[in-house]
Amino acid sequence: MNDELIRTLASILVQSSPLMIAVCGETITERSGVINLSVDGTILLAAMTGFVLGLKTDSLLIGFLAAAIVGALMAFLVAFGSFRLRQNQVAIGFVLTLLGDDLSAFLGQNYTRIPGPVVEHLPIPYLKDIPVIGRIFFDQDLVVYFAIILAVFTWWFLNRTQPGLHLRSVGERPEASFARGINVNRLRYLYSVLGGALIGIAGAAYSLDIKVGWSDGHTRGLGWIALAIVIFGGWSPLRGAFGAILFGATKTLATVLQRTFPEVSVVAFNTIPWLLMIFVLLTVGSEFTARLILYMPKPLRGPLSRALRVSPPMALGKTFGND
Amino acid sequence: MMQISFLRKINFERIIDAFLPLLAMMAALGVGAVMLLLMGSNPLQAYAAMIEGAFASTNSLADTIVRATPLLMVGLGICISFRGGVLNIGGEGQLVVGAISATVVGLSLPEAPAVMVIFLAMLAGFLAGAVWGGIPGALKAYFNVNEILSTIMMNAIAVQFMNYLLRDPLLDPDQFNAASKIPQTARLAAAFDLPRLVPTRLHLGAGIAVLLAIIVYLFLWRTSIGYRIRAVGLNPDASRYAGIDVKRYMVLSLLLSGAFAGLGGAVQVLGVHHRMFTDGSAMGFTGSAGFNGIVAALFGKLHPIGTIPASFLFGALLVGANKLQRAMQVPSAFVIALNGLVVVFVVSSEIWSRRRSRQRVIAGESHAGEMEDKLVKIPEEVHL
Repeated sequence: MNDELIRTLASILVQSSPLMIAVCGETITERSGVINLSVDGTILLAAMTGFVLGLKTDSLLIGFLAAAIVGALMAFLVAFGSFRLRQNQVAIGFVLTLLGDDLSAFLGQNYTRIPGPVVEHLPIPYLKDIPVIGRIFFDQDLVVYFAIILAVFTWWFLNRTQPGLHLRSVGERPEASFARGINVNRLRYLYSVLGGALIGIAGAAYSLDIKVGWSDGHTRGLGWIALAIVIFGGWSPLRGAFGAILFGATKTLATVLQRTFPEVSVVAFNTIPWLLMIFVLLTVGSEFTARLILYMPKPLRGPLSRALRVSPPMALGKTFGND
Repeated sequence: MMQISFLRKINFERIIDAFLPLLAMMAALGVGAVMLLLMGSNPLQAYAAMIEGAFASTNSLADTIVRATPLLMVGLGICISFRGGVLNIGGEGQLVVGAISATVVGLSLPEAPAVMVIFLAMLAGFLAGAVWGGIPGALKAYFNVNEILSTIMMNAIAVQFMNYLLRDPLLDPDQFNAASKIPQTARLAAAFDLPRLVPTRLHLGAGIAVLLAIIVYLFLWRTSIGYRIRAVGLNPDASRYAGIDVKRYMVLSLLLSGAFAGLGGAVQVLGVHHRMFTDGSAMGFTGSAGFNGIVAALFGKLHPIGTIPASFLFGALLVGANKLQRAMQVPSAFVIALNGLVVVFVVSSEIWSRRRSRQRVIAGESHAGEMEDKLVKIPEEVHL
């Protein structure tokens, strides 16, 4: 394998790691039945907070912690507004998106375009010497390792542990879980706050590692991409991570194409990710795909349906219990 | 006796509800006052500057109305879409494509009669907005794609499209020659400027917007198509059983919603800027009217007529905040933050008042017919 290709693959992984973290967080939240639509604003606000506090204290740990707290707080607002104040989750999430965007611009105005702390490169000894794989997976920094481990761990947690089973059950059949003695809203609080914290960490991962620094609207738009990838990933952390990497790959591909065809406008390539996301949402959700699969030969139907069709957790966005 | 106390209770609750958005705005300004104090400014002085800047002179009143016009245009579209049970978050993109189309029409017909060009430009904006809103509508109705996500993505695509056009094919020849290459188009012929109403910046667009508000009201409440749009928003299942083609009306409400925003973009070009320009994002041209229009509509209880004063008030807030910023020398980001606060408070109060009215029905204090106006708006179960 040539050097250029390996370097490209490694950089795709780096580029998509914050998105992987955010997708994981939102997946956990949505699997428990809560829609946290504030991802875009949360990432912005957390990225700003993480950068500014990291800069002031000169401590990356504090930066990431602060970002996680911001994310957790935003998610708590969504959960609290939904469970206790009985408001519409989507509306609160959207309003928080706008607020996060505005607030990050306001609070971060004195910290734009200045250098700050950066997460250090940390190759893993021995493992990094494995040919090809070592260069791609083990010659990175902590954020990338965290993203990969998180995706695998979340999958394991959701599908192979009892707390994970409880998490899924409150997202699918809250009444049944309640009857089994599970405190539905407490679990939903827990996992939306946890998911929110991860989304916050994703924000800091941008401002302290992948897209270092802060500027107005530093990561604008990426939160919406993350929300779309959660759907593309069929609410599975591993598939979501795959979606994030795929998205990173498209972006990298776009830059490569741009260099190859300089006569084509940059805009065409910048538009690709958004069109792709619309297309993805269109494929996985529509009845049309379901009908198309019916025309396929029988042995293919099952795998194709699993690959192309997804359905959300049954109780997604529905509040539980009476006030 | 029973009857009277019963009525009084409803009236009292309803009065609270009617003033809730206003109270929410006050609360937001209260938080803004704390922020001003923290920045070392006198909030009373600041808000005095704000009120003076928005209302005190003919010029500032005109500025407020000019600022309110696109909010009203977008807000009218929002009334239609939210009443139809679909959430159009794509106002920004629709404004942009509407403005681009109007600019293209104006630039390509420099010699044609002004009235015709103005009409064609508005029509182009209307149609472009309709397309930009219709696509997410069709995706929602026929392919089950969540319209919040798709309208946001259409916004991003519109911005990319705009940046491309304004930096290359539509770039002002003067800018090209001067090599400064500020991304903007040439100025449209002065003949195409919308007539000014009084010797201020106030242009005919405001009148058009108010007229449209009346038309939208008549459309939603006095035509069968409007009735069906509202029926679909209130209860899609019941509408389906009643023989309404629910999907078609979903598309229609998002399409019309986009069309009004697109028309708003065209009016901005013809009446205010006379050209199209970009700062790389949509905000430079729209001033976030695509988002603020949503708030104005919610402020106006999603009623086209109510949206008129709501837009005016919100326009006053925006103009006033700008004047405040200049008078008090606070950072311009404060204006953005204040704007955001008002949005948060108003939308929250709106959701809250809707809950209250529903609870009143459940409690038997009010009957369902009375709350028809309030109930729909944001679908309870959102399919992502």
